Amino acid sequence: MNWSLFFDLTVSGLTLGSLYALIALGYSMVYGILKLLNFAHGDVYMIGAFIGWYVLHALGGPLNPTFSGGAVLFLMFVISMLGCGVLGVAIERFAYRPLRNAPRIAPLISALGVSIFLQNSALLVFGASFRDYNTFSLIGVKTYHIGDLFFSVPQLLAVLTAIGLMVALTIFVARSRLGKAMRSTSFDREAASMMGIDVDRVIAVTFFIGSALAGAAGVMFGLVFGQIYHYMGFIAGLKGFTAAVIGGIGSIPGAMAGGLIVGLAESYATGYLPQGSTFQNLYVFALLILVILIRPSGLFGRAAIQKV
Amino acid sequence: MKSRRATAVAALLALGAALAVVAGAYATTDRAAAPTAQSGSASALIKCGKTRTIGFMAPVTGPAASIGTQQVHWAQYYVSTYNKTHKTKLKLQTEDTQLGAPTGTAEALKGAQALAGSPNVLGVVGPAGSNEIVGVTKSLKDAGLAWVSGSSTRTELTTDGTRTGYMFRTVPPDAIQGPTAANYIIKTLKYKRVYIIDDQETYSTGLADKVQQVLRAAGVTVERDGVSQQQSDFSSLIAKISRDTQLVYIPWQLPPKGQAFGNQMKAAGKGNIKLMGADGLFDSSFATVGSHVYDTNFPLNPKSKIITGFRKQHGGDGEYFGAPTFAATQVVATATDKACKNGIATRAEVRAAIRSTRIPAALSVIGVALRFNRNGDLSTAKKFGLYKSNGNVFVPIPG
Repeated sequence: MNWSLFFDLTVSGLTLGSLYALIALGYSMVYGILKLLNFAHGDVYMIGAFIGWYVLHALGGPLNPTFSGGAVLFLMFVISMLGCGVLGVAIERFAYRPLRNAPRIAPLISALGVSIFLQNSALLVFGASFRDYNTFSLIGVKTYHIGDLFFSVPQLLAVLTAIGLMVALTIFVARSRLGKAMRSTSFDREAASMMGIDVDRVIAVTFFIGSALAGAAGVMFGLVFGQIYHYMGFIAGLKGFTAAVIGGIGSIPGAMAGGLIVGLAESYATGYLPQGSTFQNLYVFALLILVILIRPSGLFGRAAIQKV
Repeated sequence: MKSRRATAVAALLALGAALAVVAGAYATTDRAAAPTAQSGSASALIKCGKTRTIGFMAPVTGPAASIGTQQVHWAQYYVSTYNKTHKTKLKLQTEDTQLGAPTGTAEALKGAQALAGSPNVLGVVGPAGSNEIVGVTKSLKDAGLAWVSGSSTRTELTTDGTRTGYMFRTVPPDAIQGPTAANYIIKTLKYKRVYIIDDQETYSTGLADKVQQVLRAAGVTVERDGVSQQQSDFSSLIAKISRDTQLVYIPWQLPPKGQAFGNQMKAAGKGNIKLMGADGLFDSSFATVGSHVYDTNFPLNPKSKIITGFRKQHGGDGEYFGAPTFAATQVVATATDKACKNGIATRAEVRAAIRSTRIPAALSVIGVALRFNRNGDLSTAKKFGLYKSNGNVFVPIPG
């Protein structure tokens, strides 16, 4: 057993899995409340990455930041999350709410339309060229290791940020009044409305939180992998959706677990399977089919304790 | 119920058969019509006028925009120089191919169709990528247009016979570039463990195959992998590269991807492993990864008058990747002038004029005379140049 390879793949898989988990959470939360597959979610993630890039450059760029590296990173995350949150609310208000009582295929088509709209708008506004976060100039290139376990600061930052956000979300949904309202709306929207819950507000908050998490994932992607472009949301969105389905769509712990499983599967497939880097997507989606065949409701499916 | 289902199945089968017949007839019609269209376009007389139009295909935007922009600058530099010294004028009809974009070669194909249908275009400069050349061949050939690429190096493009008489290039092919890189690794660097990663595109796989073949023949241990250029996360792939690897060879065509790969190598604690790219990565964005980065590119003389003139106009930056596009534009412009001597020309005449190009080394930016062999390759270009990064830009390795 080559432990060095195993550890490298695990670190890579956990980093990637953290991103997928954050994206999957958005899919899962929206599905839990509206039974809608929000296919525009991957593109919100892409917009988040671009907002982070613009914030970075508005603050002097990676080479001459106006504030310390930590403060710049904090602002990148906060502004990107706020921007994506507002974008998510706007998408819900204009593309999904008018179709709330329409047949289920209508909002699905609308979601695809929003996705294409966002992709092309990004192409128009940001251009087709890659944007470079140049993370190494901002926070250094130093790599740490514990024995054979190597990791970099951006990787550690991505995993810790994802864990922090997921824990915060879990506490919010479990303990806050709004979180309870979200769970009630998810359980029975009409009954929740009759009990005095402002369902429209709850749905808007759900979109805000889910999209904000996607924004954070976008910034994390830029920090870890360096480059962003207008089409990056498509495949990441698909992987996030896959993670949500594998974990059990509608379940918060399921989305987290699904994300990590997809990330690790992708990484191990690349490292251990024949032609792994070429066919990594094949292996990931084969895993999706396998899980659906064995457990159609996903790993955490209905058995999940929390459901938004 | 059963008979209704049977009727529905029969109706579907009949519909399918009808569609197949129509599709077949359409294809037959299309094939039959093709030669007429080709000969019509190739022999159609075009009034040259005072301003001649050259089609120009390059990745102006998209993932390869950094190298595409260099080609644009060099083509424009030729046009501006020409226009200053000639009574007749040149203009470029530019088509953006977005090389490396997720849409594949669709943009290049659209550009080729636009040039094919443009009544004033007599010849084409570009496109940049070998996979794009494969994609646009039919459109340009059917329209009778010749094209001269300043960067596509895949050997088979000129040797498989598909484009003979139509495609020309002002760069040496991978049959020269591959052994140049491999021999440097074997003889100068004396490395024994090399990892090769292609980008799964026509250009990259051909070059990677060639280098792998030469390295293995010399007893070098070579591991081989491939990665899609739509991917930005190389961490799992990097994990597979063992720490005792001495060099990773990445003949890719998108410099930002090379840069991302190099930076992720450093982040994984593998920044000590040398990197080598090919002409597709000959860009400062890849060079900034560090001084452990090597590259191969066309052998240019930075002291030539043409290059110093260009650098003066572009803030001292030579943008060397684009220089052979100057030569390509020069070839098409010279052929157009020759064909337009009596005021009118056909695309076939321009093709013939390109085939018989004779531009002396003194007037050539790439340091050798511009003359083509029967396949469309430069008969005068026999070697590639080796470069090493100084941390910011690539500088030639002497010898």
